[in-house]
Amino acid sequence: MEARLPAFVRHLSPAFAGLPLGPALTRSLRALARRRPGLFDRLGEFAAERFFIDPVDLGFAFVVVPDGARATVRATGKDAGGDCSVVIRGPILTLLALLDGTQDGDALFFNRVISISGRTEAVLALRNAIEDAELTPADLIGLSGALGRLADAGILGGLDMARRFAAAASAPEMAERRS
Amino acid sequence: MTGSKRMELVCPAGTPSTLRAAVEAGADAVYCGFRDETNARNFPGLNFSAQELAEGVRFAHDRGTKVLVAINTFARVGDVDIWRNAADTAVKCGADAIIAGDIAVLDHVARNHKDDIRLHLSVQAAAATPEAIRFYAQTFGVRRVVIPRVLSVPEITALNKNIDVETEAFVFGGLCVMVEGRCYLSSYATGKSPNLNGVCSPPEAVTYDEDKAGMAARLSGFTIDRYAPGEPTGYPTLCKGRFNAGGKTSYLFEEPVSLNAGSLIEGLKKAGVTALKIEGRQRGKGYVSEVVRAFRRAVDAVEEGGDAVEIDRILAGQSEGGRQTAGAYRKVWR
Amino acid sequence: MTAISLTLGPVLFHWPAERLVDFYRRIADEAPVGRVHVGEVVCGKRMPFSDPCWPDVIERLERAGKEVVLATLAAPATVRERRSIADLCGDERLVEVNDITALPARSGQPFVTGPFLNVYNEATAGFLAGHGARAICPPVELSMAAVGAMAKACPEVDFELFAFGRLPLAISGRCYHARLHGLHKDSCQFTCEKDPDGLAVDTLDDQAFLAINGVQTLSNQVQAFCPAPETLRAHAIARLRLSPHTCDMVEVARTYRALLDGEETPGSARARLAGLDLPGDLVEGYVHARPGWMTAAMVD
Repeated sequence: MEARLPAFVRHLSPAFAGLPLGPALTRSLRALARRRPGLFDRLGEFAAERFFIDPVDLGFAFVVVPDGARATVRATGKDAGGDCSVVIRGPILTLLALLDGTQDGDALFFNRVISISGRTEAVLALRNAIEDAELTPADLIGLSGALGRLADAGILGGLDMARRFAAAASAPEMAERRS
Repeated sequence: MTGSKRMELVCPAGTPSTLRAAVEAGADAVYCGFRDETNARNFPGLNFSAQELAEGVRFAHDRGTKVLVAINTFARVGDVDIWRNAADTAVKCGADAIIAGDIAVLDHVARNHKDDIRLHLSVQAAAATPEAIRFYAQTFGVRRVVIPRVLSVPEITALNKNIDVETEAFVFGGLCVMVEGRCYLSSYATGKSPNLNGVCSPPEAVTYDEDKAGMAARLSGFTIDRYAPGEPTGYPTLCKGRFNAGGKTSYLFEEPVSLNAGSLIEGLKKAGVTALKIEGRQRGKGYVSEVVRAFRRAVDAVEEGGDAVEIDRILAGQSEGGRQTAGAYRKVWR
Repeated sequence: MTAISLTLGPVLFHWPAERLVDFYRRIADEAPVGRVHVGEVVCGKRMPFSDPCWPDVIERLERAGKEVVLATLAAPATVRERRSIADLCGDERLVEVNDITALPARSGQPFVTGPFLNVYNEATAGFLAGHGARAICPPVELSMAAVGAMAKACPEVDFELFAFGRLPLAISGRCYHARLHGLHKDSCQFTCEKDPDGLAVDTLDDQAFLAINGVQTLSNQVQAFCPAPETLRAHAIARLRLSPHTCDMVEVARTYRALLDGEETPGSARARLAGLDLPGDLVEGYVHARPGWMTAAMVD
């Protein structure tokens, strides 16, 4: 999947004052935990770990603690991953595709499209939990909704559009793989 | 035993969703484990709670698929009850068989659940001779043995003529080059092993360290392999690494390939094998669905007496490092 | 207070018959070990070379007052190998069982189990005791605490700890010596004979790591666990196993006998062993429930 984001998105600064991205995503993640408790249960002890999610093509990153009803998401600068036990870096579209299962994490990792470092067991727990959960668009609506509000505010402007283009571009490839 | 019954396709189910995927892809049986060290794929986030197993059994049985529960590690001294309880739970959940390798577990099932559940001998028991297999069959009532991957097709044929129990052979997935269940390489390096903890080359011991020469994949500090900048990396499974010995650098123990004996299905049927096993409880649903569907088509084709479907091409992209071997089934492997 | 006994384990490597004869002559005459295991454990292809020497070796050892135990193969495969196990199991001497294949042939008669047979808990140990096991040397990856827990639960069996030698870690159907030389196990040319302590296997970064011995993989490092006898008694461990290498095994046996008789301290015993010509650094991680490669200093 070779989709590239529009240039203005890549130059986004971390100081997007006035946009409560963190709180919105936190609410969405907790709502997901209420709807899909099994996913968080499967994380076990690793639900309390701090995951640094760094979309390489955006100007900011996230610290996520997927602790069920106490889950938190914080938007941060790019250098805030120091006290996190896992660091995941990759293109934002790829990271989103990992969540909804359109991309396979193992293949992406071994082909160095995403980079993962830190506590490997936590990564494995996350990967297995997401794999099993079979998250649907309905599950992710809260998360993509919050990001969509950024889009509405003109900041991530082309994100939805770019994503749709990317999905269409990779579809024939996917179909061939599955035949 | 040499049977003329239809061969069974036994497929991995690492999580409830993979179980459903395997069943829907055409598995005759699925195998899974509990979320603890009683099974040999004890990875974080993997495996079943008792409730998930019960639900999985209902799902599978509704579609005519059997469920086998792997309680195939070696019970820890002082904690044998954990394994005994796992066996009891598998029975309560309505599973069709327990796959075990430790005498302690086999003994418990034979004494307490003789008529409730089938007993299959895990590959972890490394029973490769008629004498060993007969011992397990006669002492514990084992009905099927998963044969070690070190046997060639002619050896399997001879074995089946000499024993009364069914045989199950691996046909696809990760390949263990050492005799399974008797390998301590992992604990030598990391302190954890299949027999002690249900894991091999565990994730917590893995580091990927970037330096001038590229990326080094290490296990507890021991370099298992190196990759040039930009080269795809692999998981540092100990026996699939590159080492220096006798003045040569090589994949001394095994190349990072995986097993694909798809082209040998007909040969295995003629050798009297009852069931074909796909390895991969740690793999995702996409992988499992694709592999199971392909093998379903291949097995059906062989059973119908037609030419075996050429599945190598379809499955090529799925294996570790993309490379495959027919393993020990062809004797040149030794 | 009963003294802790010493076992000399079977020679794991492909030593020519002459070397075996010389080795066991010295052991018979000079080594303070009570029990000596003889026979081929690793590869059935070697047996035609060593078979002829055993009768004289056994006679020599028994004349010197040693108890001889007949070791059997860890991974028998061919008809010939399986038959050799059945033959050995018919002997009146103790037999070392390293694979379940031997169990039916020996059941009801006394035997010992070697570190290739999976005994991880008291239930399995008790089962084997019921079938005739008199001594159990569990897989090397088990800690002293785990072995001790089994020993306390099964007082009718002597538990034996692998104290000295390169650690046997794995066995395969594939021969690594053959593979290294571009050969196949069937036409191996017995290249493993060139490495009487095994052949070192280092990592790409030149770290000492493993060693190969035909179909067997061992540690490069040498286990040299030197416990005070009280420690072993506290864990109900009755025996220590010393695995033969090309170094002066009589000196190794004397060191351990002195240690177990309270004449050497753990530190001085270890120093004595370190002075010998060993194929690797001294380690003891497994005994302390740590990774096997860890040294005494690391586990303190």
